[in-house]
Amino acid sequence: MTLAAMPRWLRSGRVLIGLLILLFVVTCALFAPYLAPNDPNEQNLIATLLPPAWADGGDPAFPLGTDSLGRCVLSQLIYGARLALTVALIASFGAMIIGAVLAHVAGYFGGWVDWLIGRIVDIWLSFPPVILSLILMVGLGTGVQNVILAIVLVDWTRFCRVLRSEVIVVTRRDYVAAARLLGFSHWRTVTREIAPATFPLLITLLSLEMGVAVVVEAILSFVGMSVGADIPAWGQMVADARQNIYQAPWNLICPILAIFITVFGFNVLGDGLRRTLDPRLSQTERG
Amino acid sequence: MALLAANNLSVALTRGGSAFPAISDLSFQLEPGKILGLVGESGAGKSMIGRTIAQLLPSGFSVTGGTLDFAGEDLVTMAPEKRRRLLGRDIAFIPQEPLSALNPVLTIGQQMREHLARIGKTEPARWREHALAMFAAVHLPHGAELLDKYPHQLSGGMCQRVLIAMAFASRPRLLVADEPTTALDVTIQARIVKLIEEMRQHEDTAVVFITHDLRLAAQICDQVLVLYAGRPAEYGPARDVFARPAHPYSRCLQLASPGMGSERRGLFILPERMPGLQAIKTLTGCRFADRCPNVVAQCRTSEPPLAKVDGERVAACIRPEATAAIEPPPAAAHAKVTGETVLEASGVSKDFVTRRRLFRAPATFRAVDKADFVLRENEFVGIVGESGSGKSTLARLVVGLESPSQGRLTLLGRDVTANRTSERAFRREHLQIVFQDPQSALNPRRRVAGIVTQAMEAAGGGTGTERLERARALLDEIGLAPETALRYPSQLSGGQKQRVNIARALCALPRVLVADEIVSGLDVSVQAQLLDLLLRLRQERGFSMLFISHDLSVVRYLCDRVLVMYRGEIVESGPTETVFAAPSHAYTRALLASVPPDDADAAWNRDDGGDLALVERA
Ligand code: SF4
Repeated sequence: MTLAAMPRWLRSGRVLIGLLILLFVVTCALFAPYLAPNDPNEQNLIATLLPPAWADGGDPAFPLGTDSLGRCVLSQLIYGARLALTVALIASFGAMIIGAVLAHVAGYFGGWVDWLIGRIVDIWLSFPPVILSLILMVGLGTGVQNVILAIVLVDWTRFCRVLRSEVIVVTRRDYVAAARLLGFSHWRTVTREIAPATFPLLITLLSLEMGVAVVVEAILSFVGMSVGADIPAWGQMVADARQNIYQAPWNLICPILAIFITVFGFNVLGDGLRRTLDPRLSQTERG
Repeated sequence: MALLAANNLSVALTRGGSAFPAISDLSFQLEPGKILGLVGESGAGKSMIGRTIAQLLPSGFSVTGGTLDFAGEDLVTMAPEKRRRLLGRDIAFIPQEPLSALNPVLTIGQQMREHLARIGKTEPARWREHALAMFAAVHLPHGAELLDKYPHQLSGGMCQRVLIAMAFASRPRLLVADEPTTALDVTIQARIVKLIEEMRQHEDTAVVFITHDLRLAAQICDQVLVLYAGRPAEYGPARDVFARPAHPYSRCLQLASPGMGSERRGLFILPERMPGLQAIKTLTGCRFADRCPNVVAQCRTSEPPLAKVDGERVAACIRPEATAAIEPPPAAAHAKVTGETVLEASGVSKDFVTRRRLFRAPATFRAVDKADFVLRENEFVGIVGESGSGKSTLARLVVGLESPSQGRLTLLGRDVTANRTSERAFRREHLQIVFQDPQSALNPRRRVAGIVTQAMEAAGGGTGTERLERARALLDEIGLAPETALRYPSQLSGGQKQRVNIARALCALPRVLVADEIVSGLDVSVQAQLLDLLLRLRQERGFSMLFISHDLSVVRYLCDRVLVMYRGEIVESGPTETVFAAPSHAYTRALLASVPPDDADAAWNRDDGGDLALVERA
């Protein structure tokens, strides 16, 4: 299926832009030790709050300057991508798995199963997500694995709700009834007939969710609930830069830009995928 | 003076710098109070003409020559502002797709009100009255409730009638109706046609009636224009075209649709398909040549001009005198079926819960009421009735998608009513269904080979090569090229998809097939091919079939016996010929009366059915 769809969605400009941006961020994360000019944690107290290299008083050894402890901003940014992407990847896959499984079970079987899952989702959604994740973090304690857990526990409902209605639409198609009448088991019907049809939506949601996860991780590390001070994180960089916002605006702008560009990449990719893969859109084209 | 006149109108699609002609050399004259029928199969360009009148051509298409005059002014070159004022007021449309023409987020009432305000023929305060009067005119029941509903809450037929009511409300001078009755039941179709006729009598409205049904066109139209591959094939007075077609295409179309006349005849099978836009561009000579039974070498040298045949009739054929010689094949006789009973229903009923009530038994609606019938070996039994008559529910009961509330279902001597796991396996082995809509019945993400051998997959057997082998054999049997096995459904035409649909059901060699409206919505030439395929398959491998259809002529052609359903009950049953020749139930008579007769000169006595209170269940 993907082979046949490949050329069409790769032709989309949005998808290409998104992929390029993300490729860049992923490269930074993977090759951080080779790309970063300095050790991100090495403090250099005689060279604090240096401006970027091109400004007056800049030092070419620190291309984007240093922070209040004299750490290299660029190196921190590059290493920060590791944390952001790790959280984005694991958390959104986790949320996707829980959400997608429940959505397929609810949408396919319907009846009381659907009712029950629907009510759980409703209750979940009645809490504002930020509050819910903060409560969870307080309960779970700090640490990056708890950040991931919090995101999974909060955001599985996004997948569940959206996918469920798609599953219902697909389940009503005659080919699903035909498969059942030909003797397909429930498992085979769902995996062979329904899941492939909901897959494009799943991928789209996954891409958007990764963007959300990056933001949530940044917020939590901003309030100091994520990783310890020894691991570079964009949210923490923002938090640190607040004190010296007038002397060194670059310290604030750089991590914010990094967050923005990464989230933008995920969203553009998700949007592009939605446009090219959305079965409803392509159906109207056909009709 | 003609109200609408086309002069050598041509429309083309421009893509990649080259132009593909979609409509060429179109000329006609339509006087006030007359009905012009545009007839042809899908792809002939008939809807394109309607869109040209509205100037709603799909992107890439444009008028490349000729004129299209409305009341003396060219619609093509007219200022858009002026044209917009004409559309909706003086020119009204009944579109083919009722749902896409209504705004899904506004209620019917809001849209009706807006429409009436725009055409300005009602005082704003009295719009409601007017709307209800229009609903009553198109026989929409419960008009007042309808006003508060959203389009998706109505059936396709009801949406269609809302649009017809809107079109009628503006009392247009020209009405363009694009397959207005295709989605409707025959008795309602007869009424809508009557409404259109009344309107043109009282208001002198001119009507462009786009349809694939040559018989219907012959009955209601004054003139008929038969289109083939974007070019007029024949144009003239409706009765002449129908009684003595001059162009082979008109004749073939007529012979491809099963008749309702006294004598049953075979169907003419038109081979291949109409050339598409790409093919037309490179074609020299007659566009119909590849499918024409009368083709001679000379046909391929140059495009035959529209030449006068007789009276006011023109046809684009170099030897129209030979057309009358095209004969249908002899009819396959109905099988004398005496074999053993394979399927039996006794007293089968189905109740659906419409509303659950606290402390009381839930409110129910009886969709099927005490149905009794038998299906014998090698027998084709037709179930006819309108939407809401319970015929589809009966089919779902038989295949086990629903369980009966009462009664017994016996398949090959075994009671399968309860639908337990062991019965399900048994039923699956001997009974299969062919679904109505191939678009929805074929998984678009699977290759044809995978789809037709799903039964093997379910049984857990078969390696990839074995399945491909079996798929090839099946495709060969249903008349598709073996290469089709590796295609996806979206790469097939409607008729091919329906064949794949049939092949899948036949893979497990069932004894009984249930077919739910499997030829509706297909072109007559494709329909003829499928009907003959089913008859051939029965001869070759032997199976019985329950054939559900609203099209009486198809049932008459295909089925040995027929059951007529009305409001959940089987009101009449018997051998097809007997039932159709001498219907005993009033509803059967009404149903038969709403089919336009074969003979264009015979009076279409629709009023027989008009008084029967047919309430559509929403
Ligand atoms: S011109 Fe020839 S090919 Fe064309 S319709 Fe007439 S007989 Fe057939």
